[in-house]
Amino acid sequence: MASTPQMSQVLPSTTKPAELEYGGDEISALVLDPGTNTTRCGFAGEDTPKTCVPTSYGIIPDPEETKFLGKLKIGDNAIHSVIDGMEIRNPMHEGIVENWDVTTEIWRHCIEYRLSSRVEEHPLLVTEPIWNPLKKREKTTEIVFEDFNVPAYFLVKSAVCESFANTKGTALVVNVGHTYTSVTPVIDGIPLKKGSERTPLAGQHLTTQLRHQFSDLGIRMAPWLMIKTKAPYTDLTNPTPLRTRDYGFQPHQSFLELQQDRFIHEFKECISETWPKPKTFPTDINSVPESNRLLQDKAYEFPDGYQRRFGLDRCLAPESLFNPSVSPKPFTGETPKGIAEMIKDSIDHIDADARVTMLNNIVVVGGTSLLYRFNERLNEELMAMFPGPRVKIYSPGQIPERKYSAWLGGSILASLGAFHQLWISKQEYDEIGANIIERRAK
Amino acid sequence: MPPFRDDHILLIAPGSTWTLAQLGLPESFTPAKVRIPSRMFPGIEEGHYLPNKVHEVTEGQELMLGNGEVVTAGPNGKPYKKRKVGESASKPSATATNGGAADGGAAGAEDSKKPIDTKGDTTMADATDEKEHHDEDHEEEGHDDDEDHEMNGTKDKASNGKIYYDDDFDEEGAIWCMEQGRIVNWECFFALLLHVHEHINPTFHTPILMISQPSWTCTDKERICQFIFEKIKAPGFCMMDAAAAISAAYSAQSSLIIDVGYEKTDITAIIDYNVQELGRTTIPEGGNSMNKHLQKLLPHLSEDEIEQLKHSSICEILPPGIPIPGEEDSDKDTIMRPPDIGAIGMGGPLPPKAPEEEANEEEEEGVTNIAAIVASGKTQEYLAKKEKEKADKKAGLGLGEKRLPNYKREKNTFSYLEKLADQSTGPTKPDQAIEVPDGEHMDVDPAPATEEPQPSENIENATVPTEGDAAPAAPSSEDPLKVNPEAPPKPAGPSLMESMFSGTKDDDEAKKAQEKALRREEKKRQEAAQSGEKRREVEVGTERFKVAEGGILEAIADAAHRVVSSADDYNQRNDCWKSLIIAGNGSRVRGFKDALLNTMIAKYQVSPSTGTIFTSELPSNIPTPSGTGTNTPQPSSFNTQPNALLLQAAANNAAAAALAQHHPSIPQANQSPSEMKIAKIPEYFPEWKDAGFEECVFLGAQLGAKIYFVTDQGANKGFVTRADYNMQGPQAIHNI
Repeated sequence: MASTPQMSQVLPSTTKPAELEYGGDEISALVLDPGTNTTRCGFAGEDTPKTCVPTSYGIIPDPEETKFLGKLKIGDNAIHSVIDGMEIRNPMHEGIVENWDVTTEIWRHCIEYRLSSRVEEHPLLVTEPIWNPLKKREKTTEIVFEDFNVPAYFLVKSAVCESFANTKGTALVVNVGHTYTSVTPVIDGIPLKKGSERTPLAGQHLTTQLRHQFSDLGIRMAPWLMIKTKAPYTDLTNPTPLRTRDYGFQPHQSFLELQQDRFIHEFKECISETWPKPKTFPTDINSVPESNRLLQDKAYEFPDGYQRRFGLDRCLAPESLFNPSVSPKPFTGETPKGIAEMIKDSIDHIDADARVTMLNNIVVVGGTSLLYRFNERLNEELMAMFPGPRVKIYSPGQIPERKYSAWLGGSILASLGAFHQLWISKQEYDEIGANIIERRAK
Repeated sequence: MPPFRDDHILLIAPGSTWTLAQLGLPESFTPAKVRIPSRMFPGIEEGHYLPNKVHEVTEGQELMLGNGEVVTAGPNGKPYKKRKVGESASKPSATATNGGAADGGAAGAEDSKKPIDTKGDTTMADATDEKEHHDEDHEEEGHDDDEDHEMNGTKDKASNGKIYYDDDFDEEGAIWCMEQGRIVNWECFFALLLHVHEHINPTFHTPILMISQPSWTCTDKERICQFIFEKIKAPGFCMMDAAAAISAAYSAQSSLIIDVGYEKTDITAIIDYNVQELGRTTIPEGGNSMNKHLQKLLPHLSEDEIEQLKHSSICEILPPGIPIPGEEDSDKDTIMRPPDIGAIGMGGPLPPKAPEEEANEEEEEGVTNIAAIVASGKTQEYLAKKEKEKADKKAGLGLGEKRLPNYKREKNTFSYLEKLADQSTGPTKPDQAIEVPDGEHMDVDPAPATEEPQPSENIENATVPTEGDAAPAAPSSEDPLKVNPEAPPKPAGPSLMESMFSGTKDDDEAKKAQEKALRREEKKRQEAAQSGEKRREVEVGTERFKVAEGGILEAIADAAHRVVSSADDYNQRNDCWKSLIIAGNGSRVRGFKDALLNTMIAKYQVSPSTGTIFTSELPSNIPTPSGTGTNTPQPSSFNTQPNALLLQAAANNAAAAALAQHHPSIPQANQSPSEMKIAKIPEYFPEWKDAGFEECVFLGAQLGAKIYFVTDQGANKGFVTRADYNMQGPQAIHNI
């Protein structure tokens, strides 16, 4: 019998490859990891997401648009263009979707922008925080099947993904993200509701604190987009005149804040630093003698050209993550517990026999954990709290792995052969409805 | 599988307006040999596409017009010749080469005609014969199927009742298959690929390397891969990202690539040879936004004229400090000046110096009086007079105006080539006679002044295969090199007296240069005449300096900053800023690169640069940091500001060294960018040097092809082979 095309090394270049040589099951799944700050998406099996679009969106009010009461602007370029009347909003709150119509559009953009123009061909894995309520989970299911028309779908808890991404089935996952810091115990791949905690002490909190700190100092926080060129100066009392760009209109306040976030973010990356020892941060930073400062000054130049050296005050905002009472901007309402306290609470809720394992397997991920010396401080705090058992922190050494841990775990999961049995198919959804998610994916 | 040979590799770089292609890797890499506009025309049959506009004319009409030349009201409103492409006669199997074309029939109606729009092909007469020959096949292909119904209206009932005219100039109805880099019409895109492939007509054993646009999605790439293997049947295929190709051409480890195209600009950060997929962006600004801006400023010019104005050498973006002639040294110019020119390292903004200034000094000497006349605004009267006087003495004609550098002239002219095939990039508007607004005049000078404003400089440019118009081929960053030989003998302040005494030598040089220029002009005009082009002078005012004022520079600068800021590895961001690569044909506008760099430096560069920190000596009066850390540095220390950062840099290194801890704390970065400069242009590609590095994406493709197909031979899975494709299907493209 003649050899089949598969067996021969190379087909003669004039022969068409036989049909069905590649099947539909080879189509790679998409992994979508929606966050409050950014929404990440990419193909399963890859090591970084392909797209990462801001979850914030711009809206230009327009009463003629009936669906959104305005024109939506989605994507990095769109929300950073200066448009008259454009307001920046966010459809999510603490990882929970609030505005489904817009979120659907953002997800669609995220997928179609650079991944695939044919959403309906790919199985889709979506991550969710552990406190996602049933209603929202059902809504997600509905949208995925009704709007995107995907062939198969599954919803996983992001904490599980994060522990998998760090090659752990059992771990205490600490995710220091943008709007919240969460602690979730995961045992053998099952996240425990009991013992999971969260707090708003995270990236956005830092941004708010820094913004407050800067305005207290009297710094003009003109973002890059609003100025023409900068003129270096160091004396705040005698600033050089601001060379603003005139767009012919005043951009919306929310847009200005988004733009300010850009340099505040840069400040976080290169200036902010965590005070390394617990409970030793000087209460009055202005009265510390020079010999005791233990910290080098770092200079930062603001977009308008103002240069300033930051000393101990660059530790202030990060310190408030652990010790919220020092926050430059006081909390409205109850002051939350610090991150280390929260981890202690979580450990206390776990069964006594699992505690040692948990302490041995603390996985720290999330963009804000990249704060300089954050992990050292967390380690010190936990060591002081749990002097007996060995505390061990695992944290990826690569920046993308920290930032996209949840996505990465999802990517690993979806590419596993065994995972294929878990997919919820379109057919099942058609038979049972959105409630299938509660039956199949707890 | 037998190894691939250098000369059997097909490179294709599709772009929104032009598609570049080349077969084989030459010994020394050259710019792309084939340039084809990325558009097709709907064919006679539904779903078929042709590379040229085809008009249907019944034979009766043809007879009326006679001898193969058809006189019709063309798009330019005047008669011109159309070639007769052939009549259907006996037919070889039309689809023989296309196998089982199942996909929308995009393949069906392709021809293998030599496109006349390739660079430098101005002798259309020669090409025509060949074309006619090829076109016979082509026409038959298209004609085959629906011959019957087309027959209906013709008087002649013979089988060759219809005649098709291939119209190279008519762009009406053209389908541009890509917009802003995205493929908008797949059938058309595939037809274009097939057209390219058949035009080059490689052997069966020719692998293909394609440059992929950043905005292509994964599905797009799969589709293309499928097409390549199933229709074109290449033995090997690989895609190279455009940004990766550009960085390969510059062999830059980390860089920031700004690829200015026609309707879009791709901005990509490359760190350690890896494309930073997440942050990269494509903004809808490009050459066309400059066109639009010019159009707004010069509403009386047609789109075509605007495009050519942009290409011409008189359109430039002046460096900061050079006032636009006739305007006050406005606020804008002073502001655009970066904060501290002295502190910025090499590659920083050019000191306020017009690119051509030195090159022109010698000329200015002899014509001081003329400069005065120009300054007094009587240039035109003066010129008119002069032209009359010297009507028969060509060498001296227009000398005065020619000698004044562009940036000092309030008005300047460029020669507009009417009906230059495929020069225009948009659908051509019906051309009306140019309205001549008050105060402007049509220059009747037979030697177009603007073509050669600087004979001395243009000698260098002369080797460039310009497309009729002198493209500003030499990147202005090379200007310092260029002016060096000229500058030394010239005193800084030329005066009339000096020129009278020392003028003879200069005059000789000038005369020689001018003769050369004239000869070139003559040649060009002859060529133009042959190819049916017509030159006409169009004069524009200072608007020509404002080409980039529509916000394109700011938009690109801001997007670039966002891209680099979103690069995950913040420690390496500075490396990106240190090697900016500005490529793409949109950046050909004179002074564009420098203007963009200046914009970015003025806005984003943290002053002062690290470059000066480490080279400058430590001043002895280092201000001790104040105890609280909240004090701002003393005003006296303002000039020695680098020290703050120097301390910081030193402290950071010490801190990093001291950080021997077990937790992976990622070292903290300094604020970036501390330095911005344009990457050095690779020197070892002489052919590219002449053509300019705007299309260096193609150079990268050549390097990539060499490595993937020849050196590596697939050992590292650099490309998809036929076998891979059979195993994995179109998705194989992602596994390389």
